[in-house]
Amino acid sequence: MGARGSGKKKVFFRRRKVCRMCADKLSTVDYKDTRFLQQYLVERSKILPRRISGTCAKHQRIIQQAIKRARHVALLPYTSD
Amino acid sequence: MREYELMFVIDPRLTDEEIVSLTDQYKEMIVSSGGDVWREESWGKRKLAYQINKLSEGSYMLFYVRSEAGDVFTEVEQRMRQNERVLRYLTIRTNAGRLRHRAAKEEPAAEVAETESTETSTEEVS
Repeated sequence: MGARGSGKKKVFFRRRKVCRMCADKLSTVDYKDTRFLQQYLVERSKILPRRISGTCAKHQRIIQQAIKRARHVALLPYTSD
Repeated sequence: MREYELMFVIDPRLTDEEIVSLTDQYKEMIVSSGGDVWREESWGKRKLAYQINKLSEGSYMLFYVRSEAGDVFTEVEQRMRQNERVLRYLTIRTNAGRLRHRAAKEEPAAEVAETESTETSTEEVS
């Protein structure tokens, strides 16, 4: 008697991640807006991956560009500690 | 019409007068190569996110430039590169070709972003 597949599916309760920029209908990011960009940095100031933040490809690209610009002019760090 | 932003970070040890004369020089260069500096922001001294030339602060200046002609920044950028008191500079196009029609639609949004940045600058000054 195969007890397999008898409703013992693993159920993950995963919050559906939606791109925050899509939700807010933003199309550009200002590299000077460090407070906004900081949300997309992990503790060590690395760029938060899409898999974590749920950002869509298009907006991730825009955010990435802005973070790199901000880093160049020392508004954001490349690394911390 | 192309729109640009030019941000540069100056050595904080310069006096206010020196900074003013330097930015005036740069502004003139842009104007003489056909650009229109329609707005100018001074953020004052700000802490740098990381040390540059062993300095932990910098004076931030920001130009908003409009122009019809092509190479407005060649001369200024060359001068900035040669001037060791300019720690960093960054020129960006704020209305990229492909985004133009969208940017026109979302003009209000752009204005909001601008006022936000001025707010942060005033915070830094006080």
